[in-house]
Amino acid sequence: MSYYFTVMAMYILIGIIAAWGLNLQFGETGVLNFAYVLFVAAGAYTTAVLTLGHPSASGTQQYFWGAHLPFPIPWIVSMAVGAVLGVAVGLVSLRRLRGDYQAMVMLVVSLIATYLVSANVGFLNGETGLALIPQPFGNLHLSELNYRWFFVAVTAVVTLLVFEVMRRITGSPLGRVLRAVRENEAAAVALGTNVVKMRLLTMAVGGAVAALSGAIEVQFIGAWAPAGWTYPETFGLFAAVLVGGRGNLGGVALGAFLVQGLFLEGTVLLPSIGNPDLVGAVQWITMGVMIMLFMWFRPRGVLPERRRRFTTEARTRLPLLLVRAQRDARG
Amino acid sequence: MNQVLSSLGFGIVTASILLPAAIGFTLQFSATNVLNIGFGSQMTLAAFIGYVCTSHGVGLWYALLLAGVFGGVTSLLLNRFLLTPFMRRGTTFFGMIVITIALSLVLEYTIEAIWGPQSVFYPLSTGGTVHLGSMSFTGEQLVIIGIGVALALATHALLRYTRTGKAMRAVAGNAPLARASGVPAQRIVDLAWMLSGFMGGAAGVMLGISLSSVSFTMGDTLLVEIIAAAVLGGVGQVYGAMLGSVVIGVLLEESAIVLSGAYAPISAFAVLIIVLLIRPTGLFAGTAKAKGVAA
Repeated sequence: MSYYFTVMAMYILIGIIAAWGLNLQFGETGVLNFAYVLFVAAGAYTTAVLTLGHPSASGTQQYFWGAHLPFPIPWIVSMAVGAVLGVAVGLVSLRRLRGDYQAMVMLVVSLIATYLVSANVGFLNGETGLALIPQPFGNLHLSELNYRWFFVAVTAVVTLLVFEVMRRITGSPLGRVLRAVRENEAAAVALGTNVVKMRLLTMAVGGAVAALSGAIEVQFIGAWAPAGWTYPETFGLFAAVLVGGRGNLGGVALGAFLVQGLFLEGTVLLPSIGNPDLVGAVQWITMGVMIMLFMWFRPRGVLPERRRRFTTEARTRLPLLLVRAQRDARG
Repeated sequence: MNQVLSSLGFGIVTASILLPAAIGFTLQFSATNVLNIGFGSQMTLAAFIGYVCTSHGVGLWYALLLAGVFGGVTSLLLNRFLLTPFMRRGTTFFGMIVITIALSLVLEYTIEAIWGPQSVFYPLSTGGTVHLGSMSFTGEQLVIIGIGVALALATHALLRYTRTGKAMRAVAGNAPLARASGVPAQRIVDLAWMLSGFMGGAAGVMLGISLSSVSFTMGDTLLVEIIAAAVLGGVGQVYGAMLGSVVIGVLLEESAIVLSGAYAPISAFAVLIIVLLIRPTGLFAGTAKAKGVAA
C-alpha cells in the first residue's frame, strides 16, 4: 500500500508540474496548445536516450542514438529540447492564424507526431516504446521503498522550484503582458506588445516545463511508448486546468490533483469491472463530459483566477489602458 | 510509369472519399464559424452505424445511405443542442474548440466502449476488378468514386442554382446581413449542419468500404487529411475544399510509391505545413481573410 502511495504521489506531482506549464500557455496567455503532450513526450524520450546508453548495448531495443549521462544532465537537456521544440511548433502554427485555427494545427501536429514515432521503429523503438530506462539515484543504495520516497522528495523539490518560477512570471510585468495578450490581442498590439513573440515565449517556457515533467515520469516508471502520449492525454491536462481554474496556480494544482491523481490514476484502485478497455473508455468519456459541464456551469474553474490589485499609480496604468482600449474596441 | 498510374487509381478513390468529408467540414465552418474537431469522430460513429446495419442484413449501399442520414441527424442535434447554446452564451472561439474536442473524446470512446478497440469488418463482395489501362478498380471502388463525385456535383448545384443555396452562401458571407434581408438564418444553419453531417456519415462508410474495416480511432487520421484538404483549398471555401481533396487524395497515394506505405499520411501533413508557412489563407483566400482566420 505504501508502495502504491509513492506512485500516486509521483503522478500527482508530475501532473501538477505539467498542468502549470499548460496553464502558462493556455491559462495565462490563451495559447491553445493541443500538442502539449508532445512536449511531455519529447522530454521523456530525451531523458530515455540520454540514460539508456549506446543503442548497441541495449539488446533488442532500437533507437537512433544514445548516451549514458549522470542524473541532472538528462533532465536539463530535456528541458532545452522541450523549449526548442516549443518554438519550432509555435513558428509554424502561431504566426498568422486565428486562435482556434492555431489550435487545430497543433492537434494535427500531435496526431502526426504519434503516428511518426509509432511507424518508425529505428527512431525510438516504434509502437513498443523504450523500456528498462535506468533509475537516476541508483548509487545511493537505498532500500526499494526508501528509494521511492526519496524520488518523491526530489520531485516535490522540483515542483516547488517550478511553482516559484511560475509565480514570478505571472506576478511580474511580463505576466500582465501575457494576460493582456489573452484578454485582448488588438489592445495588446496597440500598446506595442509583440504578441507573436510573447506566445513563442510561453511555448518555450511551457515546453520546457512539459519536458521536465516527462523526464521525471520516464525515470520513475522506466518505460515510455506512443500509447502513453496520444492526443487525449493533452485533454486530461486541459481538464485539470479548466476544473481547477485557469490562471490560478493553486487552482491548477488542485485540478491536477483531482483529475490526474484521483480521476485518472486513482481508478486503478477500483475493482476491475468487465473488460479492461471499458474502464479507460469510460474515463475518457467522463473527462469529455466533465470539460463540457465545467465550460457551461463554471467556466472559470473551482478556484477562479484572482482579480489582481495594484497599488501605485505607475502600476495601474497598463491595465487601465487595456480596459479602456477594450471598452473602445467593443463600443 | 505503371506504378504511378495504378497509384493514381487509388488516389482517385481516396480523393472521392475526402471530397464529401472536406465539403462537410467546410460547410459547417462557413455556416457557423466553428472549427469542429469532432467531425472525424462523428464520421467514425456513422461508419459504425453503417456496420450495425450491414450486420443486420441491410445491403451495403442502403447502409451507407442510412449512416449518412444518421450522421445528418446527429450533426443537426449536436449543433442545435450543444454548440449553439454555447455560442449564445458568448463562449469564445477558444472555448468552442475545447468543446468540440471534448465532444470528439466522448464520441470516440463511446464507440470504443460499445464496439471495443478492435476493427470491425464490412461484408464486401469478392467480385472481379475493372481495368482501365494500368489502373484497376473493384466494383465497390467504382461506386465510391461515383458517390463522391455525385455528392460534389450535388453541392455545386445546390449552392449555385437554388434559392436555398443562395441563402446558404449569404449566411456564410455575412449572417447578420442575411438575417436582416429576410433569410431564415437559423433554418439555413440547421440545413448546413445536416448536409455536412450527411456528407461526413457517407464518407465514413465509404472509407470503411475502401479499407474494408473501421476502428474507433479511424477519425483521427482522417481528420488530418480533411484539415489538410480544407486548409489547402482555403478554409470555408467549398470549391477550395473540392480542389484540396483531389490534390491531397492523389498525393497521399502517389507519395506511397516514394515513401514506404506507413509514411504516406505524412505527405498530407507536409502539405499542411507548407501551406501554413507560405499561404495560410489557402488557394481560395476569400473566406479565411473575411473571417479573420489567417492573414
